[in-house]
Amino acid sequence: MSKMPKFAKNALITAFILCTCFVCCLIIQSLFHNTSLVPTIFVLGVFVTAFITKGYIYGIIASLISVIAVNFAFTFPFFAFDFTIPENILSAIILFVVSWITCGLSAQIASQEALKAESEKERMRANLLRAVSHDLRTPLTTIYGSTSALLENYGSFSDEQKTKILKGIQEDAQWLSRMVENLLSITKLADGNVKIIKTDTVLDELLDSVLVKFAKRYPEQNVSISMPEEFTIIPMDALLIQQVIINILDNAAQHAKGMTKLSLKVYTSRKKALFEISDDGCGITPEKLKTIFSGYCASCEMPSDGTKNNAGIGLSVCASIIKAHGGEIFAENLAKGGCAFRFTLPMEDSYDEQQQI
Amino acid sequence: MSNNKYKILIIEDEKHINNLLETLLQTNGYKVISAENCAGGKMLFSSHNPDLVILDLGLPDADGMTFLKDIRKDFHTPVIVLSARTDEKDKVLALDFGANDYITKPFGAAEFLARVRSTLRNSRIHADSLDYSEEKFVSGGLLIDYDARRVFVDGGEVKLTQTEYNIITTLSRHPGKVMTYTAIIRAIWGYNDLNSTKKLQVNMANIRKKFGAKPGKPNYIENELGVGYRMCERDD
Repeated sequence: MSKMPKFAKNALITAFILCTCFVCCLIIQSLFHNTSLVPTIFVLGVFVTAFITKGYIYGIIASLISVIAVNFAFTFPFFAFDFTIPENILSAIILFVVSWITCGLSAQIASQEALKAESEKERMRANLLRAVSHDLRTPLTTIYGSTSALLENYGSFSDEQKTKILKGIQEDAQWLSRMVENLLSITKLADGNVKIIKTDTVLDELLDSVLVKFAKRYPEQNVSISMPEEFTIIPMDALLIQQVIINILDNAAQHAKGMTKLSLKVYTSRKKALFEISDDGCGITPEKLKTIFSGYCASCEMPSDGTKNNAGIGLSVCASIIKAHGGEIFAENLAKGGCAFRFTLPMEDSYDEQQQI
Repeated sequence: MSNNKYKILIIEDEKHINNLLETLLQTNGYKVISAENCAGGKMLFSSHNPDLVILDLGLPDADGMTFLKDIRKDFHTPVIVLSARTDEKDKVLALDFGANDYITKPFGAAEFLARVRSTLRNSRIHADSLDYSEEKFVSGGLLIDYDARRVFVDGGEVKLTQTEYNIITTLSRHPGKVMTYTAIIRAIWGYNDLNSTKKLQVNMANIRKKFGAKPGKPNYIENELGVGYRMCERDD
């Protein structure tokens, strides 16, 4: 299905360029009564055609047509074919060579660009792997160390000490499980071909499950909510979007020092839903803000004590999830202090359907 | 008492998880038998006739779903399915194939035991009184009076439409259990078309509003994103 339009497009481009050349030559000929420019113009035409279109075929066709056109219209006898002139055959050969070389060059450039993009992707993946393995080691150290300490010196710990050690294990295990969830989403999205499946999700239910999950992790942290009064349905992969909101809230709870207020607002219009999560904490430093969604800069200032650094990965997961949904995500510092994360999701026009119920 | 213990069959191939669940259940007064694959599970099931099965979906010799389908042919023994987060569809499928509940890995001990308790209780109630002879459902501030067909929250009556009332009672017949959209729709409307889920969601949104629910604050009906709804446990 996608092949037909491409073929048509290339053919149209070729035809357009050649027609332009022909018209140009006709004009020049009538103005200057001179045909010395004609071959140059057709060489340019063939060159451009070969460069723009994909594959050798269009360039070759263009050069063939050019030769015929030059022979027919611009060499003596005018407006009649005469293939016996050796000059004509020579110019045909030249045009063929030009188109052949150009096609080869443009193909090479394209393949080089693809290679470059591939290696960029590869680099990102390697960075991610490095960051992840670094981040995984820290909680694993706690878990492994704590459990072996408990097994070997079980009797010599007081109950209080045991509880404390076990709490540490639990916290780190929970952190690990969140990390794994993020990684799973990345692998789900990393395959460019995999399309996310959007289902109609009730906004109210989405926010409810987000907040229930968040409250389990941070029972002390209050989140104020504002959303449209009416029944709102947004098409999305609910689990992934839930993860986006939780990652952003989590990021605020972990990094926004001095935060007293955390709020989640949702606005909807016909075309878009806008989610805004804002806090009044310490904000984000400008250097960090630049790379906040590309993630792995976290590694350039990775704390040497191995402090857990989920933020980098969590937020870059957010960005790829939103991108896969066809939305946009931004972060900015607020004038009154703190920062705001905003993301949009496209709303399919399903208002009319909703009215019927 | 020791003869009266519930017998629970665990089918899970991960040895550590198997051990953990076994210990956890034993210390909480259940009798436990465990298998590491589907075939062993089937054998133990037929020889011991357990009161509850904990079933992992990813087993080495066969899909856990096969086991579920197999025993559902002849038995109503309650089954709790263990699943990973990624297989949302599997969860719904398992529930629609007759699993009584599911737990997502990783899970905490308290959550696990709560599910076991509510599943056992639900199945017992069903076995005892299939005719729904109880007159009332009480849980915290929620009261459903089946005879009078009235619902109260914190002492005040909540005016529900016919459909909303039907949804509430359907859910309350299975407290603590997640019911899939499909299962609820089948119980309320009898048929399932493209718009049914939306219809259910709209009704549910109205119920929440009438109950005064706020997002994130515990309410009587929990929603399981993309799967269905779960009514809170009844008070004893």
